[in-house]
Amino acid sequence: MTSHNWLRSLVAVGALVAFSGTAYAAGTLRYATVGEPPSLDQQVITSDLSTTIAHHIFEGLYTFNAKNEPVPLLASGETVSDDGKTIVIALREGVKFHNGEDMTAADVVASLKRWGEFGSRGNLLFDHVESVEATGDHEVTLKLTNPFGPWKNLMAFINGGPSIYPASVVEGATKEPIGQDGYIGTGPYKFSAWEPNRKIELVRFEDYTSPEGEADGYGGERTAEFDTLDFMPVPDVGARIAGVRAGDYDYAESIPGDLYEELKNDETVTTILNGGPIFGLVFMNSSEGPLKENFALRRAIQTALDKTTALQVAIGPEDLWRANGSFLPDGNVWYNDAGTENFSKGDAEAAKTMAQEAGYSGEPIKFMVSTNYPFHYDTAIVYTKQLANAGFNIDLQVYDWATLIEKRAQPDQWDLFFTHHGFVPDPILISVMNDTYPGWWATPEKTELKDKFTASSDPAEREKIWGEIQTLIYEQVPTMKTGDIYTYNIASSKLQGLGEATLIWPSFWNVSKE
Amino acid sequence: MFAYTIKRLLTLIPTLLAASVLVFLFVHLIPGDPASILLGDTATPEEVAALTKELGLDKPLIVQYFYWLIQVVQGDFGRSLFFGAPVLSVIANGAQTSILLALMTMVWIVIFGIPIGVLSASYQGRWVDQLTSGGAMLFASVPTFWLGLYLILIFAVWLGWLPSSGFPAIDGVGALGHLRYLLLPSLTLAAPNAALIIRLVRASMLDVSREDHVRTARAKGLHPSRVAIKHIFRNALIAVAAAFGFTFAALVSEAVVTETVFSLPGIGQLVVQSILRRDYPVIQGVILVIVVLYAVVNLLVDLAYARLDPRVSLQ
Amino acid sequence: MTAVVQQVQDIFAGRRLASIGLSWLILILIVAIAAPLIAPFDPYEIDPIARLSPPGWPHLFGTDHFGRDTFSRAIYGARMTVLIGSGSVIVALLTGGLIGMLSAYFTRAGNVLMRGVDVLMAFPALLLALVLITLLERSVVNTIIVIGIVYATTTARILYGMTLKLKREVFVDAAICSGAGHGSILFRHILPNLLSPLLVQASFIFAFAQLQAAALDFLGLGLPAEVPSWGNMLAEERIYITRAPWLLLFPGALIILSVFSMNLVGDAMRDSIDPRFKDDIAGV
Repeated sequence: MTSHNWLRSLVAVGALVAFSGTAYAAGTLRYATVGEPPSLDQQVITSDLSTTIAHHIFEGLYTFNAKNEPVPLLASGETVSDDGKTIVIALREGVKFHNGEDMTAADVVASLKRWGEFGSRGNLLFDHVESVEATGDHEVTLKLTNPFGPWKNLMAFINGGPSIYPASVVEGATKEPIGQDGYIGTGPYKFSAWEPNRKIELVRFEDYTSPEGEADGYGGERTAEFDTLDFMPVPDVGARIAGVRAGDYDYAESIPGDLYEELKNDETVTTILNGGPIFGLVFMNSSEGPLKENFALRRAIQTALDKTTALQVAIGPEDLWRANGSFLPDGNVWYNDAGTENFSKGDAEAAKTMAQEAGYSGEPIKFMVSTNYPFHYDTAIVYTKQLANAGFNIDLQVYDWATLIEKRAQPDQWDLFFTHHGFVPDPILISVMNDTYPGWWATPEKTELKDKFTASSDPAEREKIWGEIQTLIYEQVPTMKTGDIYTYNIASSKLQGLGEATLIWPSFWNVSKE
Repeated sequence: MFAYTIKRLLTLIPTLLAASVLVFLFVHLIPGDPASILLGDTATPEEVAALTKELGLDKPLIVQYFYWLIQVVQGDFGRSLFFGAPVLSVIANGAQTSILLALMTMVWIVIFGIPIGVLSASYQGRWVDQLTSGGAMLFASVPTFWLGLYLILIFAVWLGWLPSSGFPAIDGVGALGHLRYLLLPSLTLAAPNAALIIRLVRASMLDVSREDHVRTARAKGLHPSRVAIKHIFRNALIAVAAAFGFTFAALVSEAVVTETVFSLPGIGQLVVQSILRRDYPVIQGVILVIVVLYAVVNLLVDLAYARLDPRVSLQ
Repeated sequence: MTAVVQQVQDIFAGRRLASIGLSWLILILIVAIAAPLIAPFDPYEIDPIARLSPPGWPHLFGTDHFGRDTFSRAIYGARMTVLIGSGSVIVALLTGGLIGMLSAYFTRAGNVLMRGVDVLMAFPALLLALVLITLLERSVVNTIIVIGIVYATTTARILYGMTLKLKREVFVDAAICSGAGHGSILFRHILPNLLSPLLVQASFIFAFAQLQAAALDFLGLGLPAEVPSWGNMLAEERIYITRAPWLLLFPGALIILSVFSMNLVGDAMRDSIDPRFKDDIAGV
């Protein structure tokens, strides 16, 4: 029977497999991601995973240096008129797109326009823009309706931001993410292939023209040392860790806090903290249900929570979290302790009394959380226990993330839900500032302060108003911050040039492997 | 036989139709929509609604179903909402891993399952039999993911002999070498399945050995080992071959847990991730393709039976 | 009663392994019933200071990453084992068993019904279960229903075959001649003959339901995450495999022992049933 031959050949394959050694293409970085990004179109997608990959391909006019200050990237500089309403941006010359064309003002204008109309964060700036025009081959003029302080920060923040495409790609693009054929940027790596569930492959862009000056944060010189960057989805965290230890990946993201000490002491891997902390947020429903306009009851809930305990349980080692009530971290210009004395009282008795005074008599409070992010779930479990101890009747509803997103859009489905927020360079970008974000916080007090905040372009005044807004957040409690979390990634100790922490997203220009 | 094959293929049509309705309904009833997943946390309801419309997901379900059905009949499974690529190419990508994994697992099952099963039957009731039968049952009782986690720990992390996870594509240089990524996963999958085959081989050998022609062979004075191999094993093989067919189909489609543990880009992972992303066309496509696979395997097994065993006739 | 004891003795006489298996299952049952009395801690109590403690005193099996007592959770996990196992058996036998029996008895309607079963069997069972659970949301009842349905199809096939065989027997003809109604023939004449093979089938479903439930838990699509089940304990603590290996060792061993025991018991019972039906039940 022929099955003997068939069997023999399979066994031969097995033997071959077992004895052939490791054979990686030299100069490939293999990055284990938590999953597959939705798309690499940075203008409309705000997934951090997307940005981690896409900011090697796409660049904006500005980026951030190590101090989180905006510095030119595709721009070479700008002049702002005295009234603050006319901004003339000069572009670097000789910059090439991955399709070989030169980048000109026409490409920049088309990209900015699409971002302004359809981009995730575009309307934040374009609500204040009167016109954007090419006033030379390499000059763009932006006219504002009123002075608007955060314009440069918004341009520099590439996540959901204005990445620059060739006009031919971006003209006619809408809200729907641009497809793979349109992944043409100016960055040090160009898009090569997307094999679903296997990898996204970027290759070095040989005609890259780097900005000048010493590398500083994302600013300055960018050199592509690796031939190829492979971003491979490895959803199971155990597999990511084992993979880096076993040498199958060079870099892996989103590692649980509890393994920090162990991995730090492991000589084969290095741990890299992520610079901008993320923070959990528990939103309250301002539109319907028992929490609507009952600020006293919300403060009772806030008083019941001991956030430090939750951080200990959900994150672990103290290096990785701060029980910080300020919405932006210590050291940042926007750091402010206004209102934060109410951040983590953990006083069950006081909460009980406050709840009674607020008219609460044991109605169920629906608390939605997702299992997709372990720290959401772990924190919610601790909070539920603490709230129960303070006499609250919490109905914990556990969903997958997609279901939670759908349910939270319906005001009658929930009272509290858990999410987290990435680091942002300007408080205007924080989700609770958005009146239409689920929770729908839009009290007259908020509206008044927010209008003042965006109208001003004086940094000192803006900082002061932000303090007032933060105080209001602790009074009306549209959302509760759970504390700062410094996520970390791990890398093979063979990688060089990574530094101790990332600025926001990991970047692999100026990085090599020994 | 040809007419029979055609007839069987025709009866597949109502099954597929029923399957397509069920799958379409289930998948679309899951709460959550692809547009808000694509756009992320900061999207406004208006933006989500606009994208939903662009993706054609705002039409009534029944309309969407018939659009989809008409496409499928023409061999077009639509485009993945998430990848933007044709569903069939996304499935093909996952199928490559799944099929290779299943084949490699079958190799282990053949290597371990058949000899041990034969051994066990030849020593029926003695300690060898008890040890192998008991051992097989123990292996069938181990959760696969538990076994997989410990195999990774031992062979990839501690000893560093084998890759822990992932599976690069089999094209380009060093292609066959990449098969070593499948060693641990295939062993994990083989453990419970080999155990079932061992039991099956043993049982069918014992059944066959009671049949008349074997008794005749023995009566003619043939050497016992010749009887075992020529008469018993060959006939027992028929039942085992059938079991292999079904095992293969099951391995391709049901390896989702092993694929998760080892982060393999196979069919099972594709479905799990697509459910999380609400990528409707992919989920529907995968399940339909697997229903067809099951049907084809069923048919092949029946045809094989008819060939191998003259007592079976097809009508 | 004494007859049952006698029968059990007959089945397990001389089968030491199967007897040990049976004893283990009885122990699990007792632990499940008496869980609140046995467990030294509240299985939900969070203790951030005692997180990830190794086995010792007072935490016999150590603690998990919430600082919850693993031993107490394992004790309560026995409840889930019994609940999921028996629940799936009931769903599978009630739906699948009835469909199979009725289809074999009322041949014309039965043909259609069995075609429906064929459609269901053509689905990849686990993938379908994943879609269904996402649709229905995670809960104990939904987990039971989904696993029960998966095994209902095989049960229907098996009972269909066995009932067909019995229908040709003399005693059924005799019952028909004596004017017995359909219900009487089905439930008083046919069903009693099927009880012991059904019991064997039940034991295999019980065993495999444990593995399926653990797999669903592992994928995050089984029981609600906060429920202490052995599968959830493995799923939640799997990243600590290097730091706290005992967290995976104890629940894993418990699952293996229980499934193994159930398989041993099922095997022993199968050897003692009517030889006509032996081939019908080859495990699930």
